[in-house]
Amino acid sequence: MNLGIVLVDDEPLIRSGLRAIINAEPDLSVLGEADDGAGVTAMVRRLRPDVVLMDVRMPVVDGIEATRRLLANLDEPPRVLVLTTFENDDYVFDALRAGASGFLLKRARPDEVVRAIRLLAAGDSLLFPAAIRALAARRAPATPTASGLDSAGLTDREAEILRLIAQGRSNAEISAQLIVSAETVKTHVAHVLAKLDARDRTQAVIRAYDSGFIAPRDPHPDGG
Amino acid sequence: MPRPRELLAIPARRSTWRRYAYHVIGAALVAPYVTLTGFVALALQGGAGVVAAWTIAIAACCLVAPIATGMLAPVRMLEIAAARLLLGVEVDDADLIRDAASWSTRWRSAAWFVAHVAVGGVIGTLTVILPPVVVSACSAPFATGDVQLGRLDATVPGGPESAWLVPLALLSPAALVYLAVGVGALLARVAPRLLGPSPAEQLGAAQRRADRLAERNRLARELHDSVGHALSIVTVQAGAAGRVLDSDLAFARQALSDIETSARNGLRDLDHVLGLLRDDTAARAPTPTLADLQRLVASTRSAGIDVTAELTGRIDEVPQAVSREAYRIVQESLTNAARHAGDVPVSLTLNVGVEHLELKLTNPLDASRTQRGGGGRGLNGIQERVASLRGQLTAGPDAGEWRIAVRLPLHPTP
Repeated sequence: MNLGIVLVDDEPLIRSGLRAIINAEPDLSVLGEADDGAGVTAMVRRLRPDVVLMDVRMPVVDGIEATRRLLANLDEPPRVLVLTTFENDDYVFDALRAGASGFLLKRARPDEVVRAIRLLAAGDSLLFPAAIRALAARRAPATPTASGLDSAGLTDREAEILRLIAQGRSNAEISAQLIVSAETVKTHVAHVLAKLDARDRTQAVIRAYDSGFIAPRDPHPDGG
Repeated sequence: MPRPRELLAIPARRSTWRRYAYHVIGAALVAPYVTLTGFVALALQGGAGVVAAWTIAIAACCLVAPIATGMLAPVRMLEIAAARLLLGVEVDDADLIRDAASWSTRWRSAAWFVAHVAVGGVIGTLTVILPPVVVSACSAPFATGDVQLGRLDATVPGGPESAWLVPLALLSPAALVYLAVGVGALLARVAPRLLGPSPAEQLGAAQRRADRLAERNRLARELHDSVGHALSIVTVQAGAAGRVLDSDLAFARQALSDIETSARNGLRDLDHVLGLLRDDTAARAPTPTLADLQRLVASTRSAGIDVTAELTGRIDEVPQAVSREAYRIVQESLTNAARHAGDVPVSLTLNVGVEHLELKLTNPLDASRTQRGGGGRGLNGIQERVASLRGQLTAGPDAGEWRIAVRLPLHPTP
């Protein structure tokens, strides 16, 4: 499957470097570039990329606002992969809250860049679960309400699967761990996303952290 | 309550005699006011009655004049220095000099000055009166007829029935010493309240500190952003160039040139911001260097710490950065020794070689005192300084001594 990508970053040298890395892959191609968030929605509407690589800090319209606009104005928005210089950047978590599906450090190795793009497009496991958890921990209330997602009405099995998703488990891994068929896991995941009104796993996990359903500061092993 | 053993050791302590010296200074300060009182009273006697003249003179010269003196800023600074040095109290006067002293501060320091002079007057008077009294009291059992006690207006009968006076007389100087120490301790306890900064002044100082920190934070963030940006470009471009080296040589060539430019810009920003941080500290006070070491040793000695210093090599040729840090390291080590080891001799050796500067500071471990860690605050500071210069530090007990050894490279290693 060929994936189309749009690059949004105010630094031309970052764009040219990423473009070379991405275009070197046979299945990935950069469709367009923008140097701030203002024209992204129009460009995406025209080029129909699968993934947008979006710098989080930009002049005029930053990555958070551009992500929000993309999701609000398009029926089938692309996945947004937020680019950041620093891992412990509160802006990154804000971008994830605004609807970005994952984030990528600019210092990532070329193979990590292309892996992240493919993983995000496939959408069947969470990118950097431990890092998202750490970001959530910086922002989470000290005493989260234990039953934050009560209104969503998750079944016990669905709640269990949401926890596994937060740990970065893929559908295959979840089906192996719970000893259920891959189809069943897929159905459960779809139900979780629907009940949480989340467009992908990342959004579901952010909601789980934000609501206190999962306390990000709790020590428990991470899958990724 | 102190244990009896500690009580017995009091007269042998250095701090005891420092406190005594503080009282003697107070006593010396009494003299001008007394003299002034005499003059004023004599001048007034013609107009008013004798009693009225003396009352006015005493009120004006022994109360109003000392209070006015105590309100002067230089007097306050002298009193703070004396209290630190001789009473051994920590008085926080950080940034005080910048503010004009408030009236509450003036009144507090006036109260302190009056207390200092009054206590000094009493102790000083007793010190002068007591020796002849002791001598005459001791001679009373052997005398015939009444014996005058020193120059006091009191007599005791001569002969063996006055023998009880002898032990009393012999103990009285010791009692005076304990009195001086006790009153000194009392003064030391109220010193921070009377000589320290007022809440408003503390607030002002805290505000200035906060401003300074905010400024430093801003610079740190700026550095973080600009160097982070440059390094991101370097990483992405280098990664890309590696990927396409075989297929797109022109891109790789351009990438190398961009990497060079970005790295250079990052270094320039680094240089600039670090320069600002350095200037920021430099502007506040002339930073002492090893050239000021003799003065540091002398002032440490005058604070009652027995320091022997042996300085060898071309100290004046040590690079400024190393020299500044080395001075601070010596200063912090001496402070630590004084704080944790008490009154023990400290030996300092400093040698400047061709490649390295070596300094060593030792003091005997006092077995009766536990070496309080104090969170290692002092040692942490030293450690940071040594690390920033890529030097080596060893610190710890060694053959009955506490020992700090530091080795600093004189020139940065490439």
